[in-house]
Amino acid sequence: MKYFKKLSISSGILTLLIASPALLILVNILSPSSENWIHLQDTVLSEYIFNSLYIMFGVAFLTSFIGFSTAYITTMYSFTFSKLYHYALILPFAIPTYIISYAYAGMFDITGSVTMFILGLLGKENVSQVYFMDIMSIEGAIIVMSLVLYPYVYLISKTYLIAESASIIDASKTMGLNSFETFKRVIIPISRPAIVAGTILAVMEAVADFGVVDYYGVPTFITGIFRTWYGMGSVEDASKLASLLMLFVFTLILLEKFQGRNKRYRSSGKDFAPISKTPLKGKANIAAFILCFIPVFLGFILPFSQMMHWFILSYEDVLDEDFLRILIQTLSLGVSGSLLITVLAFIFVYNIRIHGHKMSEYLTQTVKLGYSIPGAVVAVGVLTFFSYIDKGFNILLSGSIIAVIFAYCVRFLAISINNYEAGFSKIPQSYDDACSTMSISENSKLRRVIFPLIKNSALASFIIVFIEIIKELPLTMILRPFNFDTLAVYSHELVGQAQLYESSVPAMFIVLMGILSVLLLAKKMIKD
Amino acid sequence: MLKKLVLTSLVLASSIFAANEVNVYSTRHYDTDKKLFKMFEEKTGIKVNVLKAKAPALIKRIATEEENSPADLFITADAGNLFQAKNKGLLQTTDSAYLNKSIPANYRDTDKQWFALTKRARVTVVKIASTTDKEITSYEALANPKFKGQIVVRSSNNMYNQSLLAALIEHKGEAYALSWAKGVVANMARTPKGNDRAQVKAVANGIGKIAIANTYYIGKMVNNKDKSQREAVSKMKIVFPAFENGGTHVNISGAGITKYAPNKANAVRLLEFLVSADAQKLFAQANYEYPILAGIKPSALVASWGTFKEDNISLNALGKNNAKAVKIFDQAGWK
Repeated sequence: MKYFKKLSISSGILTLLIASPALLILVNILSPSSENWIHLQDTVLSEYIFNSLYIMFGVAFLTSFIGFSTAYITTMYSFTFSKLYHYALILPFAIPTYIISYAYAGMFDITGSVTMFILGLLGKENVSQVYFMDIMSIEGAIIVMSLVLYPYVYLISKTYLIAESASIIDASKTMGLNSFETFKRVIIPISRPAIVAGTILAVMEAVADFGVVDYYGVPTFITGIFRTWYGMGSVEDASKLASLLMLFVFTLILLEKFQGRNKRYRSSGKDFAPISKTPLKGKANIAAFILCFIPVFLGFILPFSQMMHWFILSYEDVLDEDFLRILIQTLSLGVSGSLLITVLAFIFVYNIRIHGHKMSEYLTQTVKLGYSIPGAVVAVGVLTFFSYIDKGFNILLSGSIIAVIFAYCVRFLAISINNYEAGFSKIPQSYDDACSTMSISENSKLRRVIFPLIKNSALASFIIVFIEIIKELPLTMILRPFNFDTLAVYSHELVGQAQLYESSVPAMFIVLMGILSVLLLAKKMIKD
Repeated sequence: MLKKLVLTSLVLASSIFAANEVNVYSTRHYDTDKKLFKMFEEKTGIKVNVLKAKAPALIKRIATEEENSPADLFITADAGNLFQAKNKGLLQTTDSAYLNKSIPANYRDTDKQWFALTKRARVTVVKIASTTDKEITSYEALANPKFKGQIVVRSSNNMYNQSLLAALIEHKGEAYALSWAKGVVANMARTPKGNDRAQVKAVANGIGKIAIANTYYIGKMVNNKDKSQREAVSKMKIVFPAFENGGTHVNISGAGITKYAPNKANAVRLLEFLVSADAQKLFAQANYEYPILAGIKPSALVASWGTFKEDNISLNALGKNNAKAVKIFDQAGWK
């Protein structure tokens, strides 16, 4: 028991440490309005807010719809290729947002290959002569981002549904409901924590994205942050913008927590009966097939083929000894970072479960903030944080791998925490009560009861964070030591020198590693 | 005794090793630079350690690291970034007879804190067949209503646009710059999006008639694996506009030695090497930039675009006016 008390204290200190870079940014909200700030308010701030909100709601709608509907039908029904879809639906997650945005612009913008082809068929010279939606627009950005972010919702919902399907079927049978009614009155309310956990991650990532909105010319909070920092040379005002965005996201998280509290479904505990899938026939079969095909095609097959095309044309120029070094550096960063984060997040969430302190719960929510702000801004917080530490202890941690991994914790703990929260919410409190009535020690409860139930969430967290780290760009770029590169950094450099084709080679390795991890995860989920 | 000896020699060896390196913070991520650093290593035996990131991030990192900073040389594209670094007190004076002699006065800092390495021009690109080039008499003319619906240009988030407007502010003042920016916005064929190359592609495919782009991008499009870029650029020609009271807007890549450089002597050697004839030839050939060293010719392709009169304002003005430029873009509604 003593051990767990220590856990509580050390977890508190760790949470505070990890939250501090975000908090260092957040305090800027209190700074007085500078001349720059007044200028922003007078000119562009309202547009930033509007566009960011539009993106948040757009991405929330699309990702929750695509992610949950596909998770649901692949869990409850069997249809043509449904087993294949179980894996394939996660694949878009392996494609970095900047890659899909370049690929889509290359195909569908006003001079894109597909656009030109269609214009050729119609015998028109350019798009001003036909009805045309430019992919390089805010709607285009929402679609493109949603296509690679919906797997958050899919993954978390799926893990959840597999565990809950028995109760779902039970409940609906008892109530004598038809399938649509079941969906509306049972499944959605039951799955709410999972849908929300996944959607919040997707929205936070979308709202923190710079690559897509910058390239597509959409002014948002994020482009504003960089414009203010880079263009006006004011880190302070950029941080203030970032703090406003954080406040925004934080309010959303709290609202959800508060509002969801009454509606939250309590698991019955009869979870783990094997699933018997209903086979679909005829039109229903075709509809299910198409519903799953669209996101896989648009989110994976299409951008992946474009990448493959570029890859084949250029791999010989890029694969050399140096590439091997970069590959190894990326892998070691990814594995060590995601392992650490997965362990830390477990400590935080489990600590809240067994102690239930309000304070630690709020602190944990604060830790999530790191995910809602762009990597480069997190980097500023981390730099500032380490400059205090460096001076205080007379060491040089900034510019070391420690700073990079710490920054990953700041940025990505939210993903892991959200995973565990959804996972823990389906372990009924009665289990804990039973353990204490039977005087099972905390240690063996952890080992024999909690861990087996939560290990899927742990695995999911490890894999998702691993993919995030190998895709991560700005943090790594700003904080890394000399002569240290990752695949994402290398790919970005190649894009920067107009070698889009060559940049697909490191990107392809990111995607392949992502695919491997994703398949591993999907396989594990099916087995359990 | 033996242990002591080994330890001492190890410490000695490591200090010699440490002394024989130079740490570069660079925002330039070109293969050319990689090759140049390798050439320098082979020539001098000094190891070049490189960290690459965006300029403001590197500036922030040097500022935060203060006297602990391992950085010796800060290399960046855009004079505005060099001005920022200098203005924040992150650079130091370098007295090098070779640099002073080799680099024209307008392309080195008056306080000897930064030195240009290469030049590029921001120009307009039009279709070969068009006669628009006759009408583009100056940058100022781009705001003329006769170009309504003709201009495509990237977002004002981009530093190249910010520097261009900063130069105009220096020439004509803020009020004029604002009305100019409004005029250009009114003339745009579409809202700004994509990079410089995307603008050239757009005009080649009938969207707008005048693209604004940096010169070296044109070179990169000519020698590109992407067929659509080669095809697009083959239909285009460069027009060098000039400011009414000056010349064509030129920006630079440059470098300065950081204030707390632990390997200053090596950094000076590297800086001088980058301005040497060998290095300058490589800059000119491989990256389609204009060399800074007199007597080194640009590449054949770059030379084929023709010559132009370079603008004469102080490059520090680009940095000084940059924040003003961003605000004017905001006011003018240039996305």
